[in-house]
Amino acid sequence: MAKEYTKPLPRPAPESEPFWAAARDHKLKIQKCRSCGNHWFPPSEHCPECLSADHDWIEASGRGRVFSFVTYQRLYNKGWEGEVPYVVALIELDEGPRLLSNLTGIAPENVACDMAVKVVFDDVTPEVTLPKFTPA
Amino acid sequence: MSVPQPNPALRDKYAIAGTGTSRLGQVPDVSSLGLMEEASANALSDAGLTAKDIDGLLVRGPDDIYTFHQVLGERLGINASFSTTTTNGGASQILSVILAVMAIDAGLASVVLCGFGRDAWSRTHRTEQARISGATRSAAMDTQEFGPEYGLFGAPAMHAFGARRHMHEFGTTREQFGAISLAFREHAQRNPQAQMLGRPLTMEDYLAARMIVEPFCLLDCSLRSDGAGAVIVTSTERARDMKQKPVLIKGFGTHNNLRGWFDGDNMLRTAAGPSGQRAYAMAGLGPKDIDCAQIYDCFTYMVLTQLEDYGFCKKGEGGDFVSSGTLALDGALPTNTSGGQLSETHNEGMLQIVEGARQLQGIYGPDRQVPAAETCLVSGHGGNTVCHSSLILGAA
Ligand SMILES: [Zn+2]
Repeated sequence: MAKEYTKPLPRPAPESEPFWAAARDHKLKIQKCRSCGNHWFPPSEHCPECLSADHDWIEASGRGRVFSFVTYQRLYNKGWEGEVPYVVALIELDEGPRLLSNLTGIAPENVACDMAVKVVFDDVTPEVTLPKFTPA
Repeated sequence: MSVPQPNPALRDKYAIAGTGTSRLGQVPDVSSLGLMEEASANALSDAGLTAKDIDGLLVRGPDDIYTFHQVLGERLGINASFSTTTTNGGASQILSVILAVMAIDAGLASVVLCGFGRDAWSRTHRTEQARISGATRSAAMDTQEFGPEYGLFGAPAMHAFGARRHMHEFGTTREQFGAISLAFREHAQRNPQAQMLGRPLTMEDYLAARMIVEPFCLLDCSLRSDGAGAVIVTSTERARDMKQKPVLIKGFGTHNNLRGWFDGDNMLRTAAGPSGQRAYAMAGLGPKDIDCAQIYDCFTYMVLTQLEDYGFCKKGEGGDFVSSGTLALDGALPTNTSGGQLSETHNEGMLQIVEGARQLQGIYGPDRQVPAAETCLVSGHGGNTVCHSSLILGAA
């Protein structure tokens, strides 16, 4: 029997629902302004560059780099029991926006700033998929 | 749009007239409000005042206590013509001093008590879950997406992102972070109130310490503490008639990188840069004129980047700067002379205002006094790691 998923699940703001719906379809979507062309994340109603409310949710390339990362050596939440050490990385997408995620397919000691990564999708429950990243 | 600059006509016009602290460290028999009462009473007594003499109250406690200033005012038995609770995290405490000056200058108050109290040690030692999560504020306040689901918890990680990127861009090393930790620990050995009194530290100890969130080990992280601090702000003219030697408020500044710690270069070039430039301009001083510094030290890296951002050395050279003995009591820039939040007590910067003021009053013995200190830079940083306040104090 599959182990019960005990990590916290996202509790999205209404503005973020399209991001999580796309993740369920294994797509990484971010907002793009129709007025000035700016890409942004995390989600909000108006473009942070020009305040236009006119935007599209576009599918990002899914490629980027590790801008910075931290390695947890201490357990903060029982959901990660037996999984320490683990890495939380700040990913800078090729489109510009940055988002936090985990890295898969690489040991924590091999992670480096500026390494190229690409998105993968982790279906953690039937309802929730987390975009994660792996070396490109 | 012109860049805002604080009015230099306010330089030296206002002063700190008294300082006080509560019991510090592990004080489980009293709440954050009780600690704040102790510090307030001590600051008032230091200035030769009673609670009835103050008409302004700018204070802060744990962020889950609604209108902390009202609850404290009730306990102190006072009404106020001007009062509020600030919510800029570790930048709030200097911000309170700045707001006090603004309120007095605008005629809304004449004698203002500024302070901060917290019971962070007690809160995280009451239950097992509280100990594991290490949360000093309620879970309902935390973001519920784009962080916790990936295992992002706690303040160390947020600051560690900056430390890691700084190491990557400038070759900064863990030993250089360690030099900061060691310097402040040495200062704590001279401070009878310090939580880390009697526990000196070597670089071997630092490098052997338990890792928390790499690149930070336990000794890169500030202490978990109960405690409170308070200062009395009034006009310099009025302060001269009070009990203590006034400490002049020479300059101040603020800057808040509201776009976030993860935006642009914010984790490498913090809001301390523009905030400090404003304070220097108001005081008519530059980094070379500063005799000692009390730098907000929630984590070692934050001291390193702020020293760069305040212009004490160039961006990227903080590692060499801190590892050459500069921060010691007999160094070129004695810094966090009480032991700071890494080794005295973590009080979100309030005790660093108290320490800066006391150094300029020259109240300490030769083992702890910065000789002939005329100026002190105090910094406050927080509010999701992007809010910053600066204060330049001067001897009267
Ligand atoms: Zn736009």
